Order: sequence, then structure tokens, then C-alpha cells
Amino acid sequence: MASREDKKALQGSNKNDGLTVLADVAEGEKCIVVKALGSFGLVRRLTEMGLTPGTEIKLLRKGILGGPVEIEVRGVALILGREVASRVLVKPVKEEQND
Amino acid sequence: MTKQLRVALAGNANVGKSVIFNQLTGLNQIVGNWPGKTVERAEGTLHFKGYTIRLIDLPGIYSLSPFSIEEIVSRDYIATEKPDLIINVVDASALERNLYFTLQLLELDAPIVIALNQMDLAAKKGIRINVKRLSELLGVPVVPTVAITGSGINELLLTVIEVIEEKRKLQPFNVRYGQEVEKIIQELQEIMKREPSLADVSYPLRWLAVKLLEKDEDVIKKLRDYECADKILKHAERLATKLESIHGEPSPVVLASERYSIASKIFKEVASIDAYPRISFEHKLDALTTHKILGYIFLTCVLASMFTFIFIGGNIISEYLDPLFRSLIFQLERILQAHLPEIAVKLISNGVLDGVTAGITIALPYIAPFYIILALLEDSGYLARAAFLMDNLMHKIGLHGKAFIPLILGYGCSVPACIGCRIMETQRERLIAAFVVTLVPCAARTIVILGLVGRFVGLYAALGLYAFNIILILALGRLAFKVLPGEPVGLIMEVPHYKKPSLRVVISKTWFRTKEFVYIAFPIIVAGSLAITAMDLTGFIEILTSNMKPLIEGWLGLPANAGVPLIFGVLRKELTLILLSELIPLESLTAMQMIVFTLITMIYIPCVATIAALVKEFGWMKALTIAIVNVALALLIGGIAYRVLTFL
Repeated sequence: MASREDKKALQGSNKNDGLTVLADVAEGEKCIVVKALGSFGLVRRLTEMGLTPGTEIKLLRKGILGGPVEIEVRGVALILGREVASRVLVKPVKEEQND
Repeated sequence: MTKQLRVALAGNANVGKSVIFNQLTGLNQIVGNWPGKTVERAEGTLHFKGYTIRLIDLPGIYSLSPFSIEEIVSRDYIATEKPDLIINVVDASALERNLYFTLQLLELDAPIVIALNQMDLAAKKGIRINVKRLSELLGVPVVPTVAITGSGINELLLTVIEVIEEKRKLQPFNVRYGQEVEKIIQELQEIMKREPSLADVSYPLRWLAVKLLEKDEDVIKKLRDYECADKILKHAERLATKLESIHGEPSPVVLASERYSIASKIFKEVASIDAYPRISFEHKLDALTTHKILGYIFLTCVLASMFTFIFIGGNIISEYLDPLFRSLIFQLERILQAHLPEIAVKLISNGVLDGVTAGITIALPYIAPFYIILALLEDSGYLARAAFLMDNLMHKIGLHGKAFIPLILGYGCSVPACIGCRIMETQRERLIAAFVVTLVPCAARTIVILGLVGRFVGLYAALGLYAFNIILILALGRLAFKVLPGEPVGLIMEVPHYKKPSLRVVISKTWFRTKEFVYIAFPIIVAGSLAITAMDLTGFIEILTSNMKPLIEGWLGLPANAGVPLIFGVLRKELTLILLSELIPLESLTAMQMIVFTLITMIYIPCVATIAALVKEFGWMKALTIAIVNVALALLIGGIAYRVLTFL
């Protein structure tokens, strides 16, 4: 499903600026949405569900064997298929150690 | 004289909308489908303060974009039917996301009153909301409610009447975007204003302009009916490109982001959040049911009890009803014989009465329990957890997590399974799921698999058939996924909080859905069995069998009269075996013939009740297409199996 340009965009950003995709964020970690990649319909849907650029997301849990990820965004829990989560470019948030 | 009012309930999914609907309308409901759509339409009436209020429950949706049929149905209803008032049910525990939807209602110029529901849950999550401030900011009344206990419902109705009687004026908040975006929206709006042909559109022009900039395919399609479409679309495209070049994002993202930032601003102004939420039990249950190992064990238990409930429960009802109906029919036949000629009696008893009996004793006992389970799954919030666990596997057949439920149900009975496919979001996914479901061997087909192949050829052969069936489903699911038009969108699903389902809602949902099924499916079942009886009495079946001889004998390698049971099997799949045993001693069949016969029974045309369910969900065209594809597939596979097995 992933188009070549998307993959390029993902790889390119991986090298440069510490960005990663939502699917690669660890359980319990937080991150900020940079951009949703992929088809027009998918990007629109993700945006409508509240994943607009700049939004903070917490990754709650991941399913086994490449299963979906569950996230918290704007006070709501959402499940995203792993292939959907791997189209969301995010910037990890470094949390302070003792909170 | 009572005054008539039309009021609609609108809001996100999982906000307690159906609970409010049931609180308001009680038993005065009609549940059906939106014309030509697989979307449930619930309508009810209530009387209040001299008004007769017709209340319509719009589907639970997150947005008014053209993503799903539900969203298009809802916005078309709001814009073109123009209800007197809309009660926007808002989840207080997820206010920000819910406000995103409220803003879209306001953009549609819809007159709204807000029911701020699940206030109890919000309090548990440590969210406190300044209701008065929220009402001031949005310029519409906000009534806090806890639907499940009925708290605030009366006040909600009073507020509705106050607004209708203009004792309370709505001064709805104007949704305004950032400067650059506004300039572009207004430019497009001005262009549209100058088109005389657009003067009578039922949608607000500003809303149309926003949707065109968002490249909303449904709005674009609707606009094409107007002469000026090309010109407007050209302008819209130019302006959308301009917007994208300013913001560096696709235009729908720009507009949604701005809408969200308005929602976020309102949310921050009215809500305060305690640092320590107190919902430990729900958290524990959530963690257990999505756990990497325990979650699957729990799921297995849920499925097992679901099956037990639907099928054991159904069996008990069915066994109780069956003799009752048999004796009833026997009595009726005797009465009829005294007054009518032989052929008419046969038509009535074999056609009409047997059809009704099959419907009541076979389909209905399984459907009513199924509807109870479906309502429980929907309302408790477990469905989302099951989807989380099974998403992975379902991807193999081109579907996602939610499809697991109908698929599993298919092993019991195809009828509730086909109806269960409506939990999928898009029409495309519903169709793929339903197609796959018709191929899953239901309990009746299991009788044939075990009773013929299992008994005479061996258990391993029977299990082999099941394994083959799973491979077939994987392959055909993937194929349907590739072939069907439309864009697949992966799993994006809200995980609602666990909630104790309301008994009242579960019972009322079950009752109204079952009633609707009876209305739609029974005429089809009766017509089907009447047609086959008539064909039998006129000798048409004999002609058909002799014509089918080359197919049955030559292509499939079966005895010629095996065609008859296959024709009658359309009524009930287990009939194929029962009739076959009446025509031919089963022992005289070769192992290969048994396997071919069972394979065909497993795959060919869904039974009449399933076809009725498919018609109800998808319309005649799609139902017949599925049926024809299945028949062709069965004949193809049967013929190949005959040749391969002979070769072995």
C-alpha cells in the first residue's frame, strides 16, 4: 500500500531530524504528530479523528505480531492498524525522568 | 390540536445517543434502514407539553465528511430535511473531539441544543466542565445529562420546547478560520453567490465552499448537477491549491486542523482537569482484555459463551417450537383438505406453511439471541477490544479487526452473520465481509459435512474440508479486496470506555431489530419455498433435473438424481443431506462423490434466509451477484475436485 514517495519520505526523515513513525514509538511513550502520509482518504480520516499536526499523542499499547497500536489523543483512546500507524510521522517527546 | 415537531439526535459514536433516544421514545419506535442504504434508521415519537415530537436518531459519527455512508446520510438529512431542531449529544468525557463535530453542525447552520452527556464518566476521569461558560461560548443551550439514569432528560425536553417557542434565542457561534483561510473561503463563496443556478441549493453556500476546498467527493458529485459546476470546480481547485501552498498541507488537513484548534480553545476555556483520575476498575478491565496473552484467553471465553448462548439457546427455542408448528400444520392441512383441491393444499402446506415454519423455527430462534449479543457487544465497548486483538489476522483477508465478529458468527448461522457485517464502516468492507461470511460453513452445512463425509469417509476428510474452506476464504477475501472498487482505509477506531450496558436499550434494540427482520425476510422465505413447491408440483423440477444431467453426472460425477436435493437445499442447507438419503442409499456413494457433494453444499448458493438477509442489507443486485458467484464457484470447485480426486 505504501507508495514509493512515502517510503522515501519516511526514510529521509528518519536520518535527518530525529523523526520516527508512530508504529515505532514504544509503549507508554509520548510523541507529537508531524504529518500523516499516505492516501488522501487516510490522511483526511486521521486528521478528523484529531491527529492534526502538532497534537500530542501517547502510545498506550501495541498488539502482538504486528497488531494495531492503541493511542490516546485529545483525551480519547483510538486504535490504529499497524499499517496506519506506520504512516504517521511523529517527533518523540523526551519526558523528564521523575514525574 | 397538537403541534408537530421534527427533532434529530446527532453526535459521535459511543456518547450514549441511543440511551437518550430510548429514554425519550420508549416503545414508540420504528427501526429500519435509510432508503437504499445499509444504515440503521431509528425513528420514534413522543408527546410533550402539547407537542407531538418525531424524533430521529442519526447514526453515530465523528465528522460530516464523506468518509462513511453514515456521515453522508446524516448531513444530507440535516441539510435537506431541515429538522426543527437538532439535539447534539456530546460526550463530556471526550469534549474536545466531540466539539469538533459540534462545530461542523454549526457550520451547517443547524439549530442545535446540546445534551452534555456522560457527566458521571467525565467526573470519574477528573474532568470538570463549566456548563454555563460552554453555553455562552457556543451561543446555544447546554443541558448536562446522565442518560443511563435519566438525569437531565426532562430538562432537555423543556429546553427543546423553549427554543422552539423562541423563549430562548439561539445565537450560534460563528465558526471562523484563520485570516488566510477565511479570505479564500470568502472568495469562493462570492463566486458561488453570483451563480443564479445555485440560489436554490439546500446547503448553506459557505458550507459548500468549505467542503469544496476540502475536496469533498460527495459535494463535488452533487454540484455536477448544476450548469455552473465546471466553473465553480475550477475556482475551487485553484483556491485549494493556493491554500495548500500557503500552509504546506493538504487542504482538508488545513481546515480540520483549524477546526480542531477552535475546539481545543473552547475546551481549554471550559474544562479543568484534576491530576488524578479515579477509574481504576475500568483501567484494569481494559488492560486485561487487551493483554497480549490474557486478552486472547478472554476473547475465547467471550466467543464460546456467545456461541453457547446463540446456538444452544436457539436450539432450545427451535426444538420447543418445531413440534408445535408441526402439529399446527398437520391440523391446518386437515382443515384445508376438507375444503380445497389437493394441489392447492400442497401449495399452501409445502410452500407457505413450511416456509413460515422454517423461518420461525430455524432463523428466528438464532436471530433474536444474536441481536441481544450484538447489542451487548456494541454497548459494553468490548467490540473495540476484540477488533484490537484480531486486526492482524483479518488483514490476511483484506478486512480489519471488526470483521472477526461476523466471520465467527458465520460458523453458527449465516443470517445473523450477514446482518452483523454492518459493524464495518464502509459499504465496500461490508460487502467483502458478507461475501466471505456466506462461504463460512454454518451449522446446517456442518450437519452435511459431518453427517456425510465425517460419518462415511472419515473425520480427517471432514476436517480437511474445513481446512480447505479456510484457505478458500483467505484466497477469495483477498481477491474481493483487490477486485472491488473503492479505497481501503485501515483500522481507525475509537476505544470507548467500558460501560454497563443498559438493559432497557438492549431489549428495545433486540425487539425492534427482530421485528424488522421478520417484515423483510419472511416474505422472501415464503416466496422462495412457494416457488420451489410450485416447480415441484408442475413437474418443472423433473425437467430441470434431466437438463442438469450432463452437469451433475458429466461435470461433477454425481448420480443424476443428486440434483434434486441440491435444488431443495436452497431452502435449508441440511435438506440436501436429508433428501439425498431419501433418494439414494448413502452407502452406495463413493467417497469421492460424497466429498464433491459436500463441497458443493458448502459453497453453493446461500440458503433462502441468508439471501433474504443479503437483500435486506445490500439490495437485490448485490445479493444475487453473491449468490451467482457462489453457485459458479461451487460448480467449478466441485468439477475440479471430481477430476483431482479421481486422478488420486
